[in-house]
Parts: sequence; C-alpha cells; structure tokens
Amino acid sequence: MYKYDAVDKTIVSERVEQFRGQVNRHLAGELSAADFQPLRLRNGLYMQIHAHMLRVSIPYGLLNSEQMRALAEISRRYDHSYGHFTTRQNIQFNWPKLEDVPDILEDLSKVEMHAIQTSGNCIRNISSDHYAGVAQDEIIDPRPYCEIIRQWSTLHPEFYWLPRKFKIAVTGATNDRAAVQFHDIGLEVVKNDSQEIGFRVYVGGGLGRTPVIGKVIKEFLPREDILSYCDAILRVYNLHGRRDNKYKARIKILVNAMGIDDFRSAVESDWAHSKDGELKLHDMDFQTMQAFFPAPAYEELEAGDARVNKWLDLDTQFSAWYRNNTKSHKKTGYRIVDISLKEHGVAPGDASDTQMDAIADIAADYSFGEIRVTHEQNLVLADVRESDLLEVWKALDAVRLATPNIGSVNDMICCPGLDFCSLANASSLSIAKQINETFSDYQELYDVGEVKLKMSGCMNACGHHHVGHIGILGVDKKGEEWYQLTVGGDAANKAALGARLGPAIAKDNVGAAVADILNVYRDRRTGDERLVDTFRRVGVEPFKEHVYRETD
Amino acid sequence: MSTASNSEPKAPNRELKARGKASPDKIQSTIRNSTLIRNGIIEDNDMDHHAESDNINVKDLANGNVSVPLSVWKENKSELRSRISVLAVQIASDEFVEDLADDLGDIEMVVLPFVNFVDGRAYSHAHMLRTRYGFLGEIRAIGDVHFDHLAFLARSGCDAFELPDGDDHQAALAAFSEFSEVYQPAADDAQLIFSRRRTKH
Repeated sequence: MYKYDAVDKTIVSERVEQFRGQVNRHLAGELSAADFQPLRLRNGLYMQIHAHMLRVSIPYGLLNSEQMRALAEISRRYDHSYGHFTTRQNIQFNWPKLEDVPDILEDLSKVEMHAIQTSGNCIRNISSDHYAGVAQDEIIDPRPYCEIIRQWSTLHPEFYWLPRKFKIAVTGATNDRAAVQFHDIGLEVVKNDSQEIGFRVYVGGGLGRTPVIGKVIKEFLPREDILSYCDAILRVYNLHGRRDNKYKARIKILVNAMGIDDFRSAVESDWAHSKDGELKLHDMDFQTMQAFFPAPAYEELEAGDARVNKWLDLDTQFSAWYRNNTKSHKKTGYRIVDISLKEHGVAPGDASDTQMDAIADIAADYSFGEIRVTHEQNLVLADVRESDLLEVWKALDAVRLATPNIGSVNDMICCPGLDFCSLANASSLSIAKQINETFSDYQELYDVGEVKLKMSGCMNACGHHHVGHIGILGVDKKGEEWYQLTVGGDAANKAALGARLGPAIAKDNVGAAVADILNVYRDRRTGDERLVDTFRRVGVEPFKEHVYRETD
Repeated sequence: MSTASNSEPKAPNRELKARGKASPDKIQSTIRNSTLIRNGIIEDNDMDHHAESDNINVKDLANGNVSVPLSVWKENKSELRSRISVLAVQIASDEFVEDLADDLGDIEMVVLPFVNFVDGRAYSHAHMLRTRYGFLGEIRAIGDVHFDHLAFLARSGCDAFELPDGDDHQAALAAFSEFSEVYQPAADDAQLIFSRRRTKH
C-alpha cells in the first residue's frame, strides 16, 4: 500500500498542529462557533445529536493491520470502544471530546492516517473498488490513480471552498463496485484501440435529495490528463455552481441546468488553458505509484484444499460462510474473504475495539497484513490461502464476525438514522433489526440470493436507498416514523434509480413488506435471475399489487 | 457562458423563489480598514473600497487610492483613470474575471471582496488572474477575510489582505507558515508533487 514520504508526513503533522491551534483559539473564545464550524468540518469533525462525531479518512478503503490496531486503540482511549465503518469506506467515532480531537489526529498521523476533507464543501475521500488488485474482472488496479488524485486534491487551495461537497470514485474493473455513476466525478478505466489506458469520465451523478445518474463528459481521457481534466471540471463548478441553496448546490444540479453539452464545452474551453501544463502526468509517475501496490508475495498453489473440502461437506455453518462470504480470487489457491459487519442486533458497519484488534491479527497472520473497507459497510481480507480458510473462519467466528450473510437481504447498507444523526426523520437501526428478525432463516435467505437492501433515515440518502435493489427511506409523518419503499435501484454498471412502490408504510410493517417483495420475486423469477433482474423484466406493478393488496 | 441561475428554467420550487440569495455577492457598504497585510508585512491602509450600493459619483472622487466595483469601472474608465492615481477594480464573487481581462493593463490592483468566507469563487478569480491573464499587479482580498483563510488565498494569487480592524493581525501572520510542504501547483511557485518526485528518482 502507499507509504508516506517526508512530504506526506510533513503535511499531515502540520495539519494536526494547525487544527490544534484552531481548537485552542475556539476554546479560548477567539474563534466563534460559526467561524470554527467550516474549519472543524474540513478536519472530519461534525456536531451530532449527542456529541461530536469524528470521521477518519481511509483512502480508497485500504488499511493495514497496524492502522486497524490504532483505530481500535483510539476507540478505547477516546470513544466508546467501537467505530462505525461508512459507505465512503471511512470510519466514524461517535463520542470524541472536542479537546481530545487534536490528540486523536496526532495518534492517527503516526500510522499515516488523517481526517482531512472527510466533510465540508471540498473534495472528499477518493473511493474505489474494494476488490482492487484481486478481482478477476480487473483491467487495471485503480489504487495508484486514486492515490494520485488524493494527493493532488488534498488541501487544494483553489478548491477548498466549493459550493458543496465533491466526491470522486475510480473503478478499474468491468463490473463497477465503486458506483462511479453516482459520484460528482466517476472515472472508469478503459483502453483505447491502441491499448492505451484512459478513463471514461462521468460527471454530475449523485444521490441525496435529487438522485441523478452521472453523464458521460468524456469517452476517453488519456490517463496523463486526469488531474488537468478534474481541475477544469472543478473550476467550472467552483465558479458556476449555485451557492444560494445548499440543496441545489451539487454539481449534478449545475450539469442538469446547463445541459451536459454546454457543461462539456465550458470544461473543454477551460481545459484548453491547462491541458499541457504542469498537471500533466508522466509515465514515470504511474510507475512510481504502481510500485506501492505490488501483488503480494503469493505462493504457487494448487486449486482447492482437501481439508477445507472435507469440512465443507461436514459443517453446514462453515459451508454457508464459504459460499456467502468468500469469493474467487485471480490467483489460484487463494480466496477473497468478506467480513460481515452485519451481525444480527449490531448496527450495520459497527465494529468493537476487540473485533478491530482481532481483524488486525487475522489479517497479519493470513492476508499479508491488509484489510479493505467496502462501501457496503463490510470489511475484506483480500488474499487468503484456501488452505487457511478454516482457521480464518474460526478466528472470525470467535469474535462474531462470520455471519454468513454477505450479499443477502440482511447485509443491508444503513445510515445511523434518528439514533445518532440530527438530520434524520426516522430510525434506521430499528428497521435493520426488524428485517434481521423477519429473515432469521438462513436457508430462506440463500434461496432469495443477492439482494442489495439500502436504507436511509432521511432524504439526504446517506444509506443510498435510491440505488438499493430494495430501498427504504425513513419519512416523518406528523411526528411518526414511516417508511417509503423503492424497488429496482442499481449502483453498478446498469445504473438505475429505484421505482417508488407506493405510499409510505408504517414502522411495524416494513419487514412484512420486504417479505412480500421477495415472495413476488420468488414466484416470478426465471432461471438464475436476481431480484433486480426480475424487476427489470416484470416492472414495479406486481410488487406494488402484492404489497398493497387488500387484507382483512 | 451564462451562469447556472440564468440558464435554469423557472424553478417550480416555491420555497426557493420566495427566498432571496443566501448572501449578497458584493460588499454592501464602503469599506475602509486601517491596516492590511501585504506580502507578509502589516502596513497602514489608505484604500477606500466603494460599494456599488453607495451610488458613487465618479466626479466627486478625490484623487488617492480608490477601489470601485466592476460596473463603475466599465462605465467610467477614462474619467477614473484620469482622476485616480492608485486605481483598483473589484470583482465580486458572481462576476467574471473575463470581463476585466482586457483592462488589466490599465489598473494597479484587483480587489476580491468576500461577503462570506465560505464562498470560494474568488480563489478561482485570483488563480485565473495570475495564471491565465498574467496579471502582475496587486490582488487584494477584503471583507470576511481572517487568519484561517490567508494561506490558501495567498497560494491562489492574492498578495494583500485587509482583515477587519478587530482581528489580531500579528497573530494572523502565522497563517503563512503553517504548511511548509504542499502537493499541488497553484498561482505560487509550488510544483506538482509528482514532478518533484520525478527528479529525485
């Protein structure tokens, strides 16, 4: 993974000291709450219902064991001994004290981590494919490109006070696992006819109150131009994006208002000034960066393992975990292991300090000391030998991290909701619990197969409900919590927004409504269709009819 | 190119129509601060920044150091030039550098007024003045400009800053040395980090 050099270390430590000074001036009454707020946001520090919340950046979701142990230690020393992994592949601590935050940031800097630009109206953490480097469908590893963009966009003086937050995602695989069409800028690796590497550039995608699928602004951008082209997009946005209404301020609104063709012309004419300037990257820059992401020292192994195969036959729990929580790897004799942070009764994405420590140890022993965070709020051990799977399963199971529900309806994305967030209209965590209880029969879950269930406690859509195969949105109706359901959303290549099912549903009936949707799917599916495939074929009507049928 | 608000069809959202702009883009009254920071040094200030809303009559202006809104400059170029020895033109956040591009050789200074420091358009204005139009005169940030904004304004091309009189100017000088390293080129002499690493390898 990327290793800081003297420049990175200096920037991160000086940033800690800058923030320490700002906190001190604020506590001394020299910096008003209003003036301090945008500064603390750009250091990841929010004010929530009960306390401050600190969001720590995990660039493109990649962590090493030492960093995971540091996160566990921070949660113990400064928080309530747990952390919450987010849909932007970051981690949040929900209870830090303001005066401790500079020390937390200093501790993070010692393991090459920071909280820079994890909130505020600036360029946020660059997100990417959590299977980068190991996926069978990968064209090129996106991580070097993410790191290049991360460095360029960190503390960028011109683009630090944008109209609104700005999110960039990069994918290097045929199957998009980074939802690039739902980002302010999405970069999808493509090769041209001469086999040169470039990117298809999407702009103006996003979720939130006005969900929009990104539009293609450039079919092929040579890789040496990624920074200058992003620079031009950001400048047009910075100058022309709306600033009178925060709900109209994202770049998607600007792109829609101008139309993609006019927006493209504006970007291209700005780009003409800087295209061949100092932001142009050289082949050597990519080589240097790629050297930070080498393939680990894989052994040459046979496919399969006799002992694992025997256990697969004997132990139904192990075989359920193997089937759901591990995936094929591009290197023979290895598998990708998904760690589920969706144990029944635990808030989706939460991990305790002991779990984080255990994961760090397991990664060190069995997966080259690296862990990835997924935007579905799970973790990944990307490089596990097949012959080690039994030990890994036992070790994960010992800390309740082997729930075999990856990809199932219980593996839901969920925002913190009313329990923590000051924006939320409705509770998300209690619905997660209800759905877990409704689908406690794992055989039934496996029969249903892949369902991406995504839930947000308000229309700001932190839980990405628009792109859930099943989406659930919490709404407030005269002080009561109700839930709006959608079907057929998709964050992957066939990007789609879910279709609204009908009127909002009372809190106690949400689990039953989800069961209804899945029953319609089971009746209607053909072959190995997933829920979202059946929806594409039959439309929303059959689902609507069944969920809202007359009952006595 | 038109701005977003001009090219957008009438908003059906009643709430939006009923509300004015979140904040004005131009300074609302004439500003005169007693000190400024120029090239890292605290100096006395003798510049008057006239607000558009004050309906200034150019013929009433005494010779001296004067900054006027872009619209006033556009309508009174020769009169202003003949009367004023140190002449500055303000580019408000919602105005465009392009509209002053042809006149940059005729003025001493560009003033970028901040009505609210979270509005970052002026950073792009400063950047374009320096890197695209090669403006060598002073670029001065005024208005809602404080300690914590100075370093990035300077990197974007501003070389003078008028902080409100209540601010501690001496303490604010620390802003220019908070970071000894940066990752990206701007309107200063910083290089792209990857280009610096190229020469090391």
